[in-house]
Amino acid sequence: MSDPLSKSATATEIAAAVRSGKVKAAAVIDATLKRIAASEPTINAFTDVVAERAIKRAAEIDAGSHRGPLIGVPFAVKNLFDIAGLPTRAGSKINIDGPKAARDGALVRKLEAAGAILVGGLNMGEYAYDFTGENVHYGPSRNPRDTTRMSGGSSGGSGAAVAAGEVPLALGSDTNGSIRVPSSLCGLFGLKPTYGRLSRAGSFPFVDAFDHLGPIARSTEDLALSFDAMQGWDADDPVCTDRPADPTSLRLMEGIDGLRIAIAGDYFAKGGEPEAFEAVATVAKALGATKTVVLPEAAAARAAAYVITAIEGAQLHLPRLKARPQDFDPDTRERFMAGALLPGSWYVKAQRFRRHYRANVLKVFDQADIVLAPATPCTAPKLGQVMMKLGGVDLPVRANLGLFTQPISFIGLPVVVAPLQRPGGLPIGVQIIAKPYNEQAALRVAAFLEKQGAASAPPA
Amino acid sequence: MADDKLDDKPDVARLVDEAAKAIGLAIAPEYRANVILNVERSLVIARPLLEIDLDDELTPGPVFQP
Repeated sequence: MSDPLSKSATATEIAAAVRSGKVKAAAVIDATLKRIAASEPTINAFTDVVAERAIKRAAEIDAGSHRGPLIGVPFAVKNLFDIAGLPTRAGSKINIDGPKAARDGALVRKLEAAGAILVGGLNMGEYAYDFTGENVHYGPSRNPRDTTRMSGGSSGGSGAAVAAGEVPLALGSDTNGSIRVPSSLCGLFGLKPTYGRLSRAGSFPFVDAFDHLGPIARSTEDLALSFDAMQGWDADDPVCTDRPADPTSLRLMEGIDGLRIAIAGDYFAKGGEPEAFEAVATVAKALGATKTVVLPEAAAARAAAYVITAIEGAQLHLPRLKARPQDFDPDTRERFMAGALLPGSWYVKAQRFRRHYRANVLKVFDQADIVLAPATPCTAPKLGQVMMKLGGVDLPVRANLGLFTQPISFIGLPVVVAPLQRPGGLPIGVQIIAKPYNEQAALRVAAFLEKQGAASAPPA
Repeated sequence: MADDKLDDKPDVARLVDEAAKAIGLAIAPEYRANVILNVERSLVIARPLLEIDLDDELTPGPVFQP
């Protein structure tokens, strides 16, 4: 059990300590704000720290006005989540000139209803069109495992803040891999739930067809606890499911008996660096998984995800591209402009293919409950790195860090990233993929790996 | 193959200039080369999708249910 005031403390440990009266919420927030102040000159994870709000809320909690499973837990959110009184940056300069949010985003409200305390907004790639965590306006969020390297994007600040021990819990968004990529590069547990499982109300969109929100943390207990607090239908997000919530915390330690676990072959077994496939092999061995399955036409799924993203994202931002092109990050501007010029027939074909691919991938889940795949094709690249070598081929970093995540979010499957710390090297993650709405199975597998010591996420 | 003309290399620079005009997007000279590069990359990345044949009956899901 970690000291609840230390950077090693998990959300679960902090909530237990506050609930039992061992520490005051005010002391937790004081320690958190001091850690943020000490780390930020190096890490650059935060764009906004709401210290006054957090201190006030901690005092209310200590006065007995709030309860809940996350009582006293500090958390922060990617700055595309609305925070009342602040403009919703979404990583941009342009949005600062927009209106200030009238109220918090839906998931911020849900976590605070569970007793958690928001401490700020986190750096991200501009408008979430990013896998690197770099941002020309606010500077890059730096990877706490090696500050010369990328945190991963676009939820780079979310990964950096949790890996640095600034906060135990952060929320991110994942359209093509933006929770899973920073989780892998920063060596953290991350959950991209089923498409539509968690409300996206009060968050700045990117690609409606694929936008998901979810938590990044240093333990599977924290993922489950926060996920459970955020579940539930929300009329403000038309995609949000009306299926009943499926609490995962109580079943987390049930183990893996009865789960059929397979390894994704073909597309997911090539095109990356050896460490990506070694990580999958290590996890498969720890789980006793030997069977290989093929997600058919995954390369086309990646292509279709790319096309839908490019065209939807460009269409969303076209008025801004026309009015204020000079105020975009150069690393997103010309990609958005290119997306605005792609043929509409590609988009419709990609959407039609999505149904076809979904039907075929769901058949794979007749043979397996869980499928393992690499989360990223490599460990964290250097900040500013433009090209990388994957499988002996020179490829652009930005377009290719999500090679293995895009074919999964394309059809909204739930995924937990389990991080492997590599002594003497950088961490890398493995995707634990389940069928729709079966987050609890993916979380149980990740918890098993954590308990066995195969996966872990200590602060840097 | 769904599109037997995929091997004919298009004039991407011209495509960018004309398509941008059609949608009223002014592309400053200093951005143009990178926009062209990104459209060229998109042509490469999209190819596995464009090469697939789909049944006529296969329609997009109007409300996507994972």
